[in-house]
Amino acid sequence: MGFFSRLFKGPEIDMEKSNANAKKMRALFNQVVKDGDKYRIIFGYTEDVSRFNYGFVHGSKTKIGNLIVGWNEAEQTIVVVPTVPDLSGCSEPTYYRRSEIHKAYRNKYPTDAFIIYPDRKGYIGINAYDWLDDESLYVYVSQDDELAAFTEFFKNSFATK
Amino acid sequence: MPLGEIGAILLVLIVVFILGQIWFHFVESILDKIKSFFKSNKKTPEWHTLPDDWEDKDCK
Repeated sequence: MGFFSRLFKGPEIDMEKSNANAKKMRALFNQVVKDGDKYRIIFGYTEDVSRFNYGFVHGSKTKIGNLIVGWNEAEQTIVVVPTVPDLSGCSEPTYYRRSEIHKAYRNKYPTDAFIIYPDRKGYIGINAYDWLDDESLYVYVSQDDELAAFTEFFKNSFATK
Repeated sequence: MPLGEIGAILLVLIVVFILGQIWFHFVESILDKIKSFFKSNKKTPEWHTLPDDWEDKDCK
């Protein structure tokens, strides 16, 4: 009984680990972003899928980039900070201000990613979920409320169409 | 089908798989070297590590 009820319940989130990682994300974010506390943050990631054909070997490769995504509702700004799954460090932030970007929208297919075009040449697709189990690829953090708030902000205040 | 033939087919598939892996990593390493040669002039972004005393700082 106990075994089957656990089996159907699915994996349980380790909230202690999740909270510790949420604090680490905040520490990293505040370290590189000026007035970091003015931003709410979530974990997101980019997915770069490329096909290859090396003669008799062909297939596809997927590169995943972990991100700390911050947003400031008042300033209509999204900040993206590249990081790694163990949150041992982060890179330089990139700012996307609504008044400066070319366009932004929520994708529907193949994934419901948040797409931002800073200009006509390039774009960033941010994928975000409430929780991802694979710690080797993604930051272990549970973020139901933050994701809902970010989705709301993106759709109502940041998206251009 | 006799067991020997099944074994032989499996062996061929394993050899093809191993050769495919070797070929894939060989081509990848060459492409990486070519890419790094062209990227060597580009400045890599600065990397900030999490400070040892990060828990002592006021983090919300």
